[in-house]
Amino acid sequence: MSERPVHELIRELSEVLVQLSDKVVGNLFNALHAVKHQDEQGARQIRLVDDEIDMAEVNLEERCLAFLALQQPVARDLRTIVTIIKINDDLERIGDLAVHIIDRMPEISPDMLESFEFENMGLHAGDMVKKSIEAFVLKDRVLAGRVSAMDEEIDSIHRKVFRTVTQLMKNPDSDIDQLIAALSISRYIERMADHATRIAHEVIYLVTGEIVRHKEGFYESLIESTEE
Amino acid sequence: MLMTADVRQPAESTPDQKSTREIYLPPARKTITGGGKPHIVAREFSIYYGEFEAVKKVSADILSKYVTAIIGPSGCGKSTFLRSINRMNDLVPSCHTTGALLFDGDDVYGKFTDEVLLRKKVGMVFQKPNPFPKSIFDNIAYGPRLHGINDRKKLMEIVERSLRKAALWDEVSDRLDKNALGLSGGQQQRLCVARTLAVEPEVLLLDEPTSALDPKATAKIEDLIQELRGSYTIMIVTHNMQQASRVSDTTMFFYEGVLVEQAPTAQLFTNPRDPMTEDYITGRFS
Repeated sequence: MSERPVHELIRELSEVLVQLSDKVVGNLFNALHAVKHQDEQGARQIRLVDDEIDMAEVNLEERCLAFLALQQPVARDLRTIVTIIKINDDLERIGDLAVHIIDRMPEISPDMLESFEFENMGLHAGDMVKKSIEAFVLKDRVLAGRVSAMDEEIDSIHRKVFRTVTQLMKNPDSDIDQLIAALSISRYIERMADHATRIAHEVIYLVTGEIVRHKEGFYESLIESTEE
Repeated sequence: MLMTADVRQPAESTPDQKSTREIYLPPARKTITGGGKPHIVAREFSIYYGEFEAVKKVSADILSKYVTAIIGPSGCGKSTFLRSINRMNDLVPSCHTTGALLFDGDDVYGKFTDEVLLRKKVGMVFQKPNPFPKSIFDNIAYGPRLHGINDRKKLMEIVERSLRKAALWDEVSDRLDKNALGLSGGQQQRLCVARTLAVEPEVLLLDEPTSALDPKATAKIEDLIQELRGSYTIMIVTHNMQQASRVSDTTMFFYEGVLVEQAPTAQLFTNPRDPMTEDYITGRFS
């Protein structure tokens, strides 16, 4: 059976979402690069791209809402559209967090950035976003589970940064503004990973119809399933 | 929400048809007091037209006082199954059944079943409104009169009560002596519902009741179904899947005579278990 126009439309909306995710992840990596090199020009560009992301997010949401109203999808189609709407929201928030990193740029030195390994942390979060979107495209429940499990690593780095910053703050000569900026950046990246995890959960809903957020024992069963 | 219901087991059942089986309670709407017990029970129930098996070994529980929708492509056996419940298929000479169909625990196709009493308890409304060419009053009073009620005052009470239940009273109370054929299509259909309600049935079978109606009249019938939910066990065959999702608590999907899936409507339309159901309701059916 050839694809019906309604399903072509769902595919089109999915493709728009993937394009948006490419833009968001690209902007995140550029933000890390700009902070590392104190690149003012790059920072301006990141803000411009974020404006584009905001516009694209609103546009995609409007298209999805129109689709719900006009096509009244059910089952897999309904779950796909709802998932697109939710992922769209998460991507927009990740985009904002990249801009927040840029906002902290004047307060943090490349050395401090280096010492906390924020670049690696950011790359890891970006990788989670990429993989969660890949799970969406492939409708891959196992991959979504793996992304969800990756969040623990970021959380652990964030806890480590928190402990280090608290320790350094005890030193009367410490640069408090810079340390607060470092803690903020760590928090932004940790939030990005949380959004990637949410995307992964949304993919699990798309594939299984099960809402796994806040589910007791979910994390343990997830680890088991990814180990299999 | 899952619950285990104890249902009577017909002798013909195979061992894997256990006496306790999982049935679904509708989670999406308000729970009905006193409802949810299996009112109509089918076990390995088949309907044949001659050699042709139109409904194939269906096992299902229809819950009392809830609304059950039956969906499926044309010729899938959904109307045949519906019509078997009040033995309308008896009118087809070659039609016969195997397996068990129980209504309130009694065998619908048993030797001693009183079809007239069965059809009093299991009323039916058809695709096209079919009022008798009589006055509105006489249409409603027809059934009660057949069952021996002739007192005019008593009949008037029944007519008013039935028309009120069918949400038609306000529109026709001043012209009960006028010919029912003068009513609009939507009004005629609600009159048919009122006529069915007049004999105080337990079950209402609706066979595509809105397919001949405009959207406004359709909405009134759907509202009426919601009004009657909780008082009657309602089964509706419909080609309109949005209608099934709007009005029903549980949905049955038939394909080529087989009951593919029966589930709470909210579940079936968001996360059906069977890929065939999924393909049908999302229009991917080849």
